[in-house]
Amino acid sequence: MIRFRSIISRVVALQVVAIGATSILLPLALYWLLEQAANSLHRETLRSQAVTIGSFLRAQADGGVVLDIPDDVRPLYAEAHGLYSYAVLDASGRVLFSSRADGAALFPSGTSAEGDPSARRRETGSGLFGLTVVRTVGERLYWVQIGQDLAHRDVIIDDIVAEFFSRVAWITFPILLVLLLISILIFRRVLEPVREASTTVAAIGPARTDVRLPEQSMPTEIMPLVRAVNQALERLESGFRAQREFTADVAHELRTPLAIMRVRVDSLGAGPVQDALRTDIVGMARTVGQVLDIAELESFVVGDDAKADLHAVCSDAVGFMAPLAVDMSKTIALTGADSAVWVHGHADALFRAVRNLVENAIRHTPRGTSIEVDVSADGTVCVLDDGPGVPETDRQSIFRRFWRRDRARPDSRGLGLAIVARVATAHGGSISVENRPDGGAIFTLRLRPA
Amino acid sequence: MRVLLVEDNTELVSLLKKGLSQGGIEADAVGTAGDASHALVTMQYSAVVLDLGLPDEDGITLLRDLRRRGESTPVLVLTARDGVSDRVTGLRAGADDYLAKPFAMEELIARIQALLRRPGSLLGRRLTSGNVALDTEGRQIFVAGAVHAFPARETAVLEILLRRSGNVAPKRLFEDHLFGLSGDVGSNAVEVYVHRLRKMLADTGATVKIHTVRGVGYLLTEDKVG
Repeated sequence: MIRFRSIISRVVALQVVAIGATSILLPLALYWLLEQAANSLHRETLRSQAVTIGSFLRAQADGGVVLDIPDDVRPLYAEAHGLYSYAVLDASGRVLFSSRADGAALFPSGTSAEGDPSARRRETGSGLFGLTVVRTVGERLYWVQIGQDLAHRDVIIDDIVAEFFSRVAWITFPILLVLLLISILIFRRVLEPVREASTTVAAIGPARTDVRLPEQSMPTEIMPLVRAVNQALERLESGFRAQREFTADVAHELRTPLAIMRVRVDSLGAGPVQDALRTDIVGMARTVGQVLDIAELESFVVGDDAKADLHAVCSDAVGFMAPLAVDMSKTIALTGADSAVWVHGHADALFRAVRNLVENAIRHTPRGTSIEVDVSADGTVCVLDDGPGVPETDRQSIFRRFWRRDRARPDSRGLGLAIVARVATAHGGSISVENRPDGGAIFTLRLRPA
Repeated sequence: MRVLLVEDNTELVSLLKKGLSQGGIEADAVGTAGDASHALVTMQYSAVVLDLGLPDEDGITLLRDLRRRGESTPVLVLTARDGVSDRVTGLRAGADDYLAKPFAMEELIARIQALLRRPGSLLGRRLTSGNVALDTEGRQIFVAGAVHAFPARETAVLEILLRRSGNVAPKRLFEDHLFGLSGDVGSNAVEVYVHRLRKMLADTGATVKIHTVRGVGYLLTEDKVG
């Protein structure tokens, strides 16, 4: 069985069925009513004819009656004219007068009560339709029978009835079609706010939880759904807000004790213990920072009109990481474009991405090697190193959270590259890694030029 | 020199006060934004060290209020929040510098001193790194206690490097200082002076090194002991 999923198609299907039924039943019903009206019109005509015939009865002095039909109306009842026929019977059923040549009654006497229409099939095959009216002349009762040959019924009335069916069908059908079109239009209009609401809902993400569905112009039937959705969004937003506040609280609760630890360690006498503790605190602070970055970037969205100078970002990132590189006996350089490269992006987020790429390169290459950050005018940053490179099998998983090739390495938490990947995604860009022909890895961060 | 320390963690406050006093900086501490606001009206401080996570009011709001009412004392923002937008927000609100927790004590002292060396501030006559010192007024250079006279431009390069010791000094900074904004800068002029300075430092037995960060700038580091 066909299932109609859309409201409009359901309405159309129902309407088509309704139109079909209506265009058959309505003419039939009207035809029946018209037929009834035509019959009653006939009856009235016959009754008035019977009354007229009755009025022609004159009482005689001997107690009998004569039927005195004026000459001008007599042809109406002539058998040759054939429109009406009459018979007058007395109380005993004897035929006194008849328009018929054989002088017989039109209907057997007593077969019909006063006023009831009677019908009789004649020998000629045509039907005779008529009725009987009781008339008092003098002291006696007479039955006046009047009949009409059905072959000679009122032609105009019959024509109307006969043609009614086809005409009504021709008018009904287009009207119903127009109604169908109007219903479709009405439904489309009514559903327009729902369509708009869908577009609004599509924009909702972790960073856009303040969006609510408009309640104005929404059909009343859909209001409960709209309200329920808005309430759900309300709960969602408070959930996200709580998560953001939690992230900020965690930052405070973790970093303040680390700051206390660091200052305390700094006040210790110099020595290997102090150095080791400092290294621990720096590593821990780095992990806390990365976890917080990940949490924050989860709901981070770059504004549509955000612009950043990729060259300046890379220059800052290289400058920021240079002391670490120098400390680990590595050289670092910024190459490529030497003026502003505008990309669609958030400068601080991009800084974190490039910084993490550089930090990754510094931490995974041997001493004495060099790192190159190359900025292209098309919005691409390449970070090239002279390290061992990245095996083909790891090139996807390397950007996953907490992924580490070597789980024994204490200085890596596998978060840095996940942050880069998240920043790239948030910017509608991409990050990939390949090996250089002569060894070493090349990380390519592609951004959209502004 | 007296600074106002706005931080609500009492343990950190006592450690910082001790650490700062060892670096020659005396600190008055308050724990709320309200008290900080009050203290700045009654006392003249050389600088403010402001933690953003205060119990009564957001540090950023306090900073904005201070700047709005014309308080020009340099402010170093100290924060646990180091999110993607936090630094920008802090600097826009009127902070002069920004330091994320945790930090090294000497880094905090260096940053405070850097704030005070800015134009209009009194400190910073003598810049040191390793066994090299520069008297910014007398333009004299001391290497291992011995006085040397370097040419003016080499001295200017050294001053920039010493002010940024441990951090990269962008190439643009040298160009602006050496030749003024309108000067015609040869593409390798800075390199030439840095190269000469390197040689002079090496010749005088300095324990500092100038590293080139190609495409970005130069970095002065102390030689590691041992």
